[in-house]
Amino acid sequence: MLSYEGGVSWRGRRLRIVVLMLCSLLAAGGVAADAGDSFSINGFGTLGAVRTTTDDVEFVRDLSQARGATDHWTAKTDSVLGLQANWQVNPQWQAVAQVLSRYRYDRTFRPEMAWAFVKYDPSPNISLRAGRLGTEFFMLADSRWVGYSILTVRPPGDYFWHLPFYSIHGADAALALPLGEGVLRGKVFYGLSRGNIPLAREQWDIRRSPMAGTYLEYQWGGLQVRASYANIRFRNDLPLASVLAREKGVVLPAVAADYLKTRGTRTHYYSLGMVYDKGPFQAQLMLNHIDQGTNALSDSNAGYLLLGYRLGEVTPFVGYSRVRSRNIANPSLGNAAADAVATYVIEDSRAEQSTVFAGARWDVARNVAIKAQWDGIRGESSSLFPYRKDERARWGGRMDVFSVSMDFIF
Amino acid sequence: MFRPLIKALIILFAFLGAGVASAELVVIVNARSGVAAMTRNEVINIFFGRNRQFFNGVEARPVDLEDEDPVRARFYRLLVGKELSEINAYWSRQVFTGRMQAPLRLGSTEEIVRWVAANPGGIGFVELPRADARVRVVYELRR
Repeated sequence: MLSYEGGVSWRGRRLRIVVLMLCSLLAAGGVAADAGDSFSINGFGTLGAVRTTTDDVEFVRDLSQARGATDHWTAKTDSVLGLQANWQVNPQWQAVAQVLSRYRYDRTFRPEMAWAFVKYDPSPNISLRAGRLGTEFFMLADSRWVGYSILTVRPPGDYFWHLPFYSIHGADAALALPLGEGVLRGKVFYGLSRGNIPLAREQWDIRRSPMAGTYLEYQWGGLQVRASYANIRFRNDLPLASVLAREKGVVLPAVAADYLKTRGTRTHYYSLGMVYDKGPFQAQLMLNHIDQGTNALSDSNAGYLLLGYRLGEVTPFVGYSRVRSRNIANPSLGNAAADAVATYVIEDSRAEQSTVFAGARWDVARNVAIKAQWDGIRGESSSLFPYRKDERARWGGRMDVFSVSMDFIF
Repeated sequence: MFRPLIKALIILFAFLGAGVASAELVVIVNARSGVAAMTRNEVINIFFGRNRQFFNGVEARPVDLEDEDPVRARFYRLLVGKELSEINAYWSRQVFTGRMQAPLRLGSTEEIVRWVAANPGGIGFVELPRADARVRVVYELRR
């Protein structure tokens, strides 16, 4: 049974709404089944364990997680369970709801409605969706938690961890156009973001921040190439004053607060992705550039290359990823104390590291895969942004990460 | 003295068995769909849901088989060189991002022929001998 603390909290109510919606979908499906429509429930999950070789920083899957892995094994980082209901009302109309339970910003596995939307296809190659939707900020970004669908234990961190955004309340439209022997596909989306990003013991509330994006891709045989762009305009400031007061006992000067504001600033995300997938061979090359509108976060360039080759039921893979901060702000606020605080905050958004990773996926049974992976992270001691609970004085920028997981779909 | 006869029978059965198990696979469409032939990439685009229309605008409705049917594994191996785990991984990504649903799964290639014959946009894969006058062969899968 799903439970919550503190009486009828907002979260509790929200959860009840989720359960009610699922139940009504189920009921609707039961009725609809007679009319020849199709209703299905599917799920996916991962049981994962991960440890690193340091306790100077905590390793997270992405910045939506409040705590991470250290030199003790933890199942929190990668374990997930998702349940999805699909109701195909008729060939044009479909309703989808997905409930997801994974370790998140509030340090719980509280299930949440990951998506809930209605899909309408006015013609076979046009698809319109509205409701709570996953966002494809970067290629594969909306299937990050479906471990069974990917080769590695988790999407390469240097590329994906600065993407704590998962869904919007909004709409998207996708159009596919056969071109030559391939298919050209484009999509646009707009909506208000959801969720919180943890910052020490506080939360950065990014709810209702407007987000918009688009991509264009061409898929021909085993090759898929995509260019995408998205932006978000933050509605709230980072909770810097309270974090600094609580963690460091430092007062945030007003001039620094203004310099570091995120409210009303817009961040741009550009990416280029290429996937080659033919026979036993698969390769992915992805590049991104993030252009931050705020001084508090530094711009960055990141990319990864992943190569895998299937041998029977086992697919060994190797990869390389890296991320580098760009245009790090140099505050000069006419006040030494303010400069020091601002510099401290800006330093926290630096990412300067490369990762070599290798592992194998073993398709051990139908719809079940077991994976093992090693990540060798080699970075600067200034590379703090990817982690949680950093001990700046001790952190040297290097660690190894060992992961095992079992992914399944049903 | 029965030995040569038994030997001959064993060889004969082996041939017959091999013949059924490795009968050529073909892609069939509804005879009234207006589609006469397709290329490998066009077949891939339809079966992987990338394109949901035939060249003439008719909505394509692909049908698939259950994992247990060995014809399914053979079809995807011949078409894209992929194992079923990879095909299922692909569909898990499509389904759980809410992009699209996987094609309808039927119990046998006999059912596929019947389904394709009954649906104007139907497209499926069967062993060549099963393709009768109700359907049209648009692509032959070669090794």
